[in-house]
Amino acid sequence: MAEAAQSLKPPEPAGQPILQLRNVDRIFDSFAAVDRITLDIYEREFFTIVGPSGSGKTTMVRMLVGMDKPTNGDILLRGERINDVPANRRPTCMVFQSLALFPHRTVGQNIEFPLKMRGVDAATRRKRALELLDQLRLPQSYYGKMVTQCSGGERQRVALARALAFDPEILFFDEPLSALDYRLRKLLEKELKDIHRETGKTFVYITHSLEEAMVMSDRIGVMNRGRFVQIGTPREIYGSPHSRFVSEFMGEVNVIEVRGEAGAVVDAAGTRFATPVVAADFDTGTLVVRPEDVRFVGAGESADNRLTGVIYNEYLLGSRVQYQVRVGEGQTFLVEKLRDQMPPGGPGSAVTIGWDARDSMVFPASRLQQ
Amino acid sequence: MNSTGRGVRFLYACLIAAFLLLMYLPMVTIALASFSRTRYFRFPIPAWSTNWYAEVFESLSIRNFFWTSVIIAVLVGLISTALAFFGALAFARYRWKGRKLFQKIVILPILFPQAVLGLALLLWFTAIGITPSWQTAVFAHIVWIAPITTLIIAIQVYSFDPAWEEAAFDLGATRLQVLREVTLPILTPGLIAGFFSAFLLSWANFPLSMFSSGADQTIPGWISAKVQAGYTPQVPAVGTLTMLAAAVIMGAGYGLVVLQARRRARAEAAG
Repeated sequence: MAEAAQSLKPPEPAGQPILQLRNVDRIFDSFAAVDRITLDIYEREFFTIVGPSGSGKTTMVRMLVGMDKPTNGDILLRGERINDVPANRRPTCMVFQSLALFPHRTVGQNIEFPLKMRGVDAATRRKRALELLDQLRLPQSYYGKMVTQCSGGERQRVALARALAFDPEILFFDEPLSALDYRLRKLLEKELKDIHRETGKTFVYITHSLEEAMVMSDRIGVMNRGRFVQIGTPREIYGSPHSRFVSEFMGEVNVIEVRGEAGAVVDAAGTRFATPVVAADFDTGTLVVRPEDVRFVGAGESADNRLTGVIYNEYLLGSRVQYQVRVGEGQTFLVEKLRDQMPPGGPGSAVTIGWDARDSMVFPASRLQQ
Repeated sequence: MNSTGRGVRFLYACLIAAFLLLMYLPMVTIALASFSRTRYFRFPIPAWSTNWYAEVFESLSIRNFFWTSVIIAVLVGLISTALAFFGALAFARYRWKGRKLFQKIVILPILFPQAVLGLALLLWFTAIGITPSWQTAVFAHIVWIAPITTLIIAIQVYSFDPAWEEAAFDLGATRLQVLREVTLPILTPGLIAGFFSAFLLSWANFPLSMFSSGADQTIPGWISAKVQAGYTPQVPAVGTLTMLAAAVIMGAGYGLVVLQARRRARAEAAG
């Protein structure tokens, strides 16, 4: 574990750390929902915590906003310990998964809520609310509309405007986009990234979708079983995952059960695979190849790894096409190509598929099992 | 298919009409009886009169019973709603060990026969040396009515998203501000419904009052006594007025809810 912690150091400090976690635990009965986490989040960065449900990400964010306390460890905001500071006295706030807009209030009253709590006068509040409506591309006429009459995307923007009205130093998001349809989600992801740039605030975003995290984040922390299994830029997480878990989390991948034998990676049938590093001996492990790194190999073309098989199925994904290729007994491969690349023939045709040694990702089972 | 559908629909309408008739006819009978000049009810009514109403309004004792009933009902309404608010929050909002048991214990009194409950309370009042009066009647009513009010308010509490309170707190509100700005306003329709239900249940209650009100008599108690001895059409006249009062109060409750919605709509128009 000590070795794993070493490799989780942030790659490029983007300024001063604003929020620091020092060996933070949250233990329920005897179960550690958050397990000895040490993390620095930097000023003005867009940091996303990704993990499957039950990985501890919600427990973690509840501690960060002050709605829960760590069992052990310290949370520091600009160097000051804030473990025991309640949520209403912290200069941070959160956009909830359910958005938690007040149903008995108008859009304007919702946005003005944090200002009203602070005793700001009505005229100033109204002025600020109208500014925020502009900033979030909502018409000013929405000021008097009931939030219950707004659409999903509008409610999303109202929730963000209300959080911005609070003027927090750090803005937390607990999967606020998860209830929206795909197109709206894509649009709002980009808008959120724009808002991040315009406001220059630190954003900490929680999601179970690595795809969503990739689009928006400066840095991503992938969580599993209460710990970070990898922290890095989207490029690093995608390009060089530390474990099978991280590589599979991004989406569909091809997985081959392998073992390491005298520096060679071999599967059960004895096929040798070309890989970037000479792996040490290991009993069991996995070799992972992304579908878009696998290509159809024509006669006379070369590839470090070659397999022959039969196209079994074809899936259209819009701009891309995915082929399911059966290789040998029971092993299927996914091959993903751009639409305009020549299809090698429909289902039933025999093909040779292949990929380069550098695209083989090998994870011995003994290392970073998560 | 269309014609059979129509036939079925006709039968259905008849059934509903019969049901409504059977439910409301007795109440209409009471009203008719109160307008009859003769002392005992006969149908068709030989001669009409509003004398009995005049007598009711002149009677000082009936006025007395009326005010006793009103005071008891208002107090029961207010106290039940306050108790029920916290009771409903306790089992419908917060998760804690034993909340299921708590819920059952709170709801249980509804299932007691009211006469038995009234008698039990009377024995208990006597044992600890309290003379039954309208105050003890308030207590007796609350024992039975507050659980019902709790159920009514709980319906509203179940649809309350705890994230509303968390969000308000997170946005800088104090605990008191959260209660005043978020929890109470969102639960207001439930509280209004709870209050009026408690008021009306107390207003019409006879068995509990009979055992627990001692020398102070309520309207239902007076009706019961008069039916047993000394019946005049004053009894149906008071009965009719009591029902009217209940209807007016229900109307007022409904009006209050509509008014709240209007005020909201006006706030919207202003923005």
